[in-house]
Amino acid sequence: METVNIILCGLGGQGILFVTKVMARAAVDKGYSVIGAETHGMAQRGGSVVSHLRIGPAQSSLVRAGEAHILLALEENEGYRNLSFMAPGASMYVNTDSATFPRKEVASFLAQESIECKGAPAGKIALDLSAPLSSNLALLGFFSAFGKGPISHEELRQTIDTISPERFKEKNLKVFDTCHEWGLKRSVYHDTTHP
Amino acid sequence: MSNKEIFLGNGAIALGLLEAGCQVITSYPGTPSSEILPEAIRLKKNLGLDPYVEWSTNEKVALDNAFAAAVAGKRAACIMKQVGLNVAADSLMSAAYIGTMGGLVIVSCDDPGPHSSQTEQDTRFMARLAKVPVLDPANPQEAREMAGLAMEISEKYSVPVILRPAIRVCHARQDITYDTVEPHRTLASFEKNPARWAATPKFRFKLHGELNQKLADMAEYFNTLSAYNHHDLEPGRAYPLGILAGGVPYAVVRDILAETGRTDIPVLKLGTPYPFPAGLAGEFMAACDKVLVVEETDTLIEYLLRDSSKVLGRLSGHIPSEGELVPEVVFSCINGALKERQMEPFPERASGNAVELIQTLELPIRKPTLCPGCPHRASFYTIRKKRPKAIFTSDIGCYTLGLNLGGVDTCLDMGAAITMASGFYHAFAQDEVKQPIVATIGDSTFFHSGPAGLLNSVYNDARFILVILDNSITAMTGMQPTPGLGIRADGSHGKSISLERIVKGCGIDFIEIVDPYDFTAMGSLMKKAAEYVEAPDGGIAVIISRHPCVIANRAEAIPEKRKVMVTDDCVACGYCMKRFECPALYNDLRVEKTRINRHICADCGLCVNVCPKKAIVPMDAAEI
Repeated sequence: METVNIILCGLGGQGILFVTKVMARAAVDKGYSVIGAETHGMAQRGGSVVSHLRIGPAQSSLVRAGEAHILLALEENEGYRNLSFMAPGASMYVNTDSATFPRKEVASFLAQESIECKGAPAGKIALDLSAPLSSNLALLGFFSAFGKGPISHEELRQTIDTISPERFKEKNLKVFDTCHEWGLKRSVYHDTTHP
Repeated sequence: MSNKEIFLGNGAIALGLLEAGCQVITSYPGTPSSEILPEAIRLKKNLGLDPYVEWSTNEKVALDNAFAAAVAGKRAACIMKQVGLNVAADSLMSAAYIGTMGGLVIVSCDDPGPHSSQTEQDTRFMARLAKVPVLDPANPQEAREMAGLAMEISEKYSVPVILRPAIRVCHARQDITYDTVEPHRTLASFEKNPARWAATPKFRFKLHGELNQKLADMAEYFNTLSAYNHHDLEPGRAYPLGILAGGVPYAVVRDILAETGRTDIPVLKLGTPYPFPAGLAGEFMAACDKVLVVEETDTLIEYLLRDSSKVLGRLSGHIPSEGELVPEVVFSCINGALKERQMEPFPERASGNAVELIQTLELPIRKPTLCPGCPHRASFYTIRKKRPKAIFTSDIGCYTLGLNLGGVDTCLDMGAAITMASGFYHAFAQDEVKQPIVATIGDSTFFHSGPAGLLNSVYNDARFILVILDNSITAMTGMQPTPGLGIRADGSHGKSISLERIVKGCGIDFIEIVDPYDFTAMGSLMKKAAEYVEAPDGGIAVIISRHPCVIANRAEAIPEKRKVMVTDDCVACGYCMKRFECPALYNDLRVEKTRINRHICADCGLCVNVCPKKAIVPMDAAEI
């Protein structure tokens, strides 16, 4: 298999490391090799955070600009900030409650590059479930509705079930499932890329 | 028992050290090295091993301790970040001459970028300066293997060995398979030999000669160490361009050549750049017209390749001299060399316009900030309010971010809050200028490098206010315990060291402890301290501003939640955002009022003290 490159981005404190861990663990449990890179230290104090995950035979931990197949953004502007990682034909999934997502200037770029772009109010869905810190798993649930990448929805869900601490497990799965279902409806009826 | 686990690079290094039979591990935390010791502690429990581990008070202390263990015949490791090795340099230079009986591996983690450091300095040059070997891993798996190799070389040649992982090794994640680890134990012994262990200059000359011989022997060994130093030249073939790479850039080069399907560019990997395997490098250079040297962070290999006529690298302007060699940079460097050599370039996509697009979007600038509820924010607010004209010397830690509140003017190195305060004092006093100075330093940094500077300041009669920001934790690097807490690296109880007693022992007569959450108390204390500093018979005033870290200990930091709201009295003047700079405060453009971001507000209630219009109020009061 050729390496699948994934970028996960957002702000420090949004739980990017955890969602990266879920994807990496699910990939390894499926028999793939993984390598990736994380942000620690000063930048974690509320700054922009980018996590790289490469599933396959790659030796180096960073995704090269223009080579990412999948981008998950826990915040809309951070999604835009990392657009240069996207390969033509790639897919991006963004936590946003903006009615005008994606921004006009961005939409034309995405069309030109044939990049599929899906937005979901993951943060709001998590907050409504009284899990304000779980927008990460909500977005992952949303992403899992579209069948992109080498790991299936069931495999991601199983990994969350396995690695969540007991006291968060039920809530984590609830958030993941709710946003997954939200995504399933949209993946059929509502496509923001080709309205 | 065979386990497959996704390791952080730092965990892989810890695993490698334990597999190498490490019996003593010392460290001082610093990004990107901080997780190695905690990972070693986690793994030693899982693997049923029993090495001695400690968070030392600073890197020199850590290295001296590990060195002594290696002199006693143990296998020891000492872990730090690259600027930490500066602190330990005195120890390193001498330890190289004296050598070891057991093994001594120094792990010094570099930070090209820099992402979380003062400099982009290259540890490999410190190895060259000290004349000790250095190993440069490309990824976590190799770092794990090289930890073992380093220990083996150290024991075989009786010399400290440096393992230099860069941040993309330390904070990479990779799946790693491991097995049970056989415990290794050498019993401590010390054979008296003052000519070596306490060598005078005459004997140092002799030791230097021995070290030089060891280096020559190791360079020969490295020429044939094909697991980590190898090339893919075809015999007899001549190449217009080759690539010489080490460390993380080697993995990047390999990926790029694989992705572009290029087989016409040979690569020499040097995993052990010093002592330099000149024979192997010479063989590679002879087969290539030009060689692009891709190394991080500086020019060690370029300097060691004494014939520079074939070299394309930093010195010739083919590789950037600052910043990280991220894949797209390496890609364009190789492509530049291909074009220059009139070889077929890599295919380049036309879609370079993403970068331009991003620039036109005017995305918000995200700078790191102190966390909502952080006690340092309260300290800086009051310090600045009470001494607005002061020079604010500060230090290394979360609280460097006090610069966002205008509470930090300088940050040089560990402990310089105090030494620069005394330096500024004497510089202005010489001109008979009464310049107020307030120094801020964290508790961990004070334990690391504070007392020597404070003693010096007292002895030489400098005058300033020193605020020790005591949150009882090393927060920035990931919540390691400090000596003040009395909890040791493995969670066991140690003796708690009292900051007050150290300060008193340094000759300070004005020592006050305050909770910065109490704005009134801290404010009046700042005033009292300023009067003391300026009094003819005064001196240095030390305020210990003590409140737990809101991340490490939320329950103690905010025992009672105080929800606040913004009333209609808000005029959106922005004072709270500028002077208090809490990320939970934002300007709502729709209503032209400041609002609270409930997602991140810590309910500390501190901002109630800040608003000049008294428009931030406790929620209950507003509801009444």
